[in-house]
Amino acid sequence: MAVDEFLLGNTNDPVLRIFGWSRPCVSIGYFQSIDDIDYEKCKKEGVDVVRRITGGGAVFHDRELTYSFFTKNFPNNIMESYKEICQLIILALKRLGFEAKFSPLNDITINGKKVCGNAQTRKNNTLLQHGTILLDVDVDRMFSLLNVPLEKIEDKKIEDVKNRVMGISKKFEQVSDSLKSSAKEYFQCELIPYQLNQKDQDSCKKIMNEKYSNTDWIFRR
Amino acid sequence: MDIFQNLIKAKSISKLEKLVKIELGYLQESMEIKSIKITGDFFLHPEETIEKLEGSLVGVKLEKDSIKNKIEYILKNSEFYGFDVDSISNAIVDCVKKR
Repeated sequence: MAVDEFLLGNTNDPVLRIFGWSRPCVSIGYFQSIDDIDYEKCKKEGVDVVRRITGGGAVFHDRELTYSFFTKNFPNNIMESYKEICQLIILALKRLGFEAKFSPLNDITINGKKVCGNAQTRKNNTLLQHGTILLDVDVDRMFSLLNVPLEKIEDKKIEDVKNRVMGISKKFEQVSDSLKSSAKEYFQCELIPYQLNQKDQDSCKKIMNEKYSNTDWIFRR
Repeated sequence: MDIFQNLIKAKSISKLEKLVKIELGYLQESMEIKSIKITGDFFLHPEETIEKLEGSLVGVKLEKDSIKNKIEYILKNSEFYGFDVDSISNAIVDCVKKR
């Protein structure tokens, strides 16, 4: 999250960042209450908790590929901007043999099951959209850590809700390569590897220590 | 004066496209909002508008039109998804109805 925030304020060129998680983590949206997750259970099970700068719901990050995309060229309309950037993910999934669809506002589905969730923020005339492509998902564990409110489930059984999420059962490297190839095709560009220098890394660490690791930020709502 | 009025706490949850949860504190006699927290899995740009919205609702009477006018004013230059002005106004008023 700290790297995302740093890049949001310090990049002029489009950036595609691809990463995984060294250990499981729950991220909650900017507007969510901390009560939307079982914080104590997360801590007990060694699951990190982080609050994002983007809206949307709680996400259990484990066996997945996470991407962050930064651009200064985007539609003003929220729906249009999600639709446009999600096409990149849909193209990547197509390369892997999947027919995926954009499910407004911010999901991508395969045969009606959610495989990718996304969230955006806009600062410094830059749009950040980050999201996760599920490779494999332990739905029971996910639901045990997230306090899914009854109003979200409505008249559906919890088992039906659990069945609406699926992993694509591909390796991280396969999905990463597909995403990079799709970015070249979609944006008609070459990708230039980008490494944060020491000064940038120090700035990211500072943001992490002052904000994302701070319980004031995590518990702000 | 506030100190002579009972402070009532109430909550409500509403779902349009996304979930919106309201936690409210209001003065019983004057029906004025004393504190409000609006949470959920919705989207709002710029994100900091939520704090501005919550702050601006303090002191507003718990009456739909007053609340709706305030929300419309604060959100007029924002982009949001998952709720609309009407649904969030109703969710706030519902806190009192559901007590």
